[in-house]
Parts: sequence; structure tokens; C-alpha cells
Amino acid sequence: MKQQTKLSEEQQQKQHAAEQQTQQQSPREFANAEEMLRYDAAHTAVPPAIAQRLQKSTGDLPGPKKPWWKRLFGGANR
Amino acid sequence: MNEPAAGCEFVEKSPPDLACSEFSSLYTEHSRAIYYLALRFLGDPQKAEDATHDVFLKAFRKLDQFRGEASVRTWLYRIAINHCQNLRQAWHDRHVFSNADDAVWENAAARTDSPLRVLEIKELVQRIQKTLDGLSDEYRLLLLLVADEEMSYEQVGALVGQTPDAVRGKLHRARKTFAALFEKTA
Repeated sequence: MKQQTKLSEEQQQKQHAAEQQTQQQSPREFANAEEMLRYDAAHTAVPPAIAQRLQKSTGDLPGPKKPWWKRLFGGANR
Repeated sequence: MNEPAAGCEFVEKSPPDLACSEFSSLYTEHSRAIYYLALRFLGDPQKAEDATHDVFLKAFRKLDQFRGEASVRTWLYRIAINHCQNLRQAWHDRHVFSNADDAVWENAAARTDSPLRVLEIKELVQRIQKTLDGLSDEYRLLLLLVADEEMSYEQVGALVGQTPDAVRGKLHRARKTFAALFEKTA
């Protein structure tokens, strides 16, 4: 019986924590515009179609001639 | 790796070609920021998708011209801002307006979110877009760039042609305007 009570308490604590987390994630409380935009950006997924289209588009092109990291690091790192 | 092969593999596993591997990493790291800027600046998911594709294609072609004087993120933002401003100017000249409907905004909410949360996020997203649409191009761009935590005031200033102090001053006014307009969208 005690074990059941403890389990129940743990469940309640978990539920409470989950509710708190949900409240903290509420999209309605933002300190300023940037914070709201950051939240919005974090919830914005990049459509996978872009990567697929890019793969096709770059398929017809030669690769970059001189990658920037070669100029930056002299190609020593790679 | 002496001769980069044609094309790039934009998939999860790194391709064997180094140039493509680096470009693929660049896409993975910066595509969300560029897509988000295009989305909120243009106000149309389909056009933002096209713009993001075009921006990264330009970056792929101009990779050899990147001098490393700015961060990669700043360089990509510059390409994206020019591209989006040109698009908006072209629409303005042709009197074209965004025709994004409700359905396309639903992508904003994750599939795991509850129906109530999906509605909340959808409503918030629509209000944010409406508010941004009501701002001047200058304020809209400023807020979107400052919202990117990877961007310093100096970097934002360089992109919008302002000093860091001017960015701070304008940001204050942009925030106030955004807040006032946002209230009206309720």
C-alpha cells in the first residue's frame, strides 16, 4: 500500500513537472519581440524539399574551385 | 581531395567529397536561419523555400569568393537579404502580393504537439507575420537579425549599414512598434 502511495506521489510530481514545463513553454509570454521571434524560429522547420532541390541544382555544377577553408587554413588541416 | 566532384549530397551522412561535405555542413548549420529570415521577410512559405534554395545555390557558386572577412552566417545573410529585397522590389513593381493560405502556416507546429498547442502556435505565427508585415522593411530586418543569437550588434550593423549604436537605438523603436502592432492583431 505504501508503495502504491509512493508511486502515486511520484506520478503526481511527474505530472506537476510536466505541467510546469508546458506552462514555461507557453508561447504567450515573451519579454520582447526578439524573444518571440526566437521562439517562432525554433518552431519553424526547414522544408526537406529545399535540400532535395539543391542536390539536383548542384548536380549540374562543378564543385567549388577553392574552398574558403583552404585559404583560411592553407589547406593544412585537410 | 584535389578535384571536387560535381554536385552535392544533402543527406545526413557525409559524402566522400570534401568540398561537398563542407557545403553540406554549411547548409545544415545555417539553413534554418536563412529559411526563417526569408519566411518572415517575404511572408510566404513557398516563396521562402524558393528563396532559400536560390540563396544556397548562389553560395555554392560563390564559395570561392568568400574571403573570410565576415562570418559564414553574415555572408549568407547578405546574400539572402539582397535576394529577398530584390524579390520584394520585383513584386512591388509588378503589384504581386503574397497568397499564402492558412494551410501552409500549419507546418509551424510540431507533429507531436497537442491540438490545442497546434492552434496556439498557429495563431501566434499568424500574428507574428501580420505584425512583421506592418513594420517598415528596416525594422523588420533589424528585428529578424537581432533575434538571431549568433549575430552581434556589430554584425547586424554591418548588414544593415548602421553603426552598432544606431542599431541599438533603432532596435528600441522597432521593439516598441512591434509590440504596439502585435497588440492590435489580438
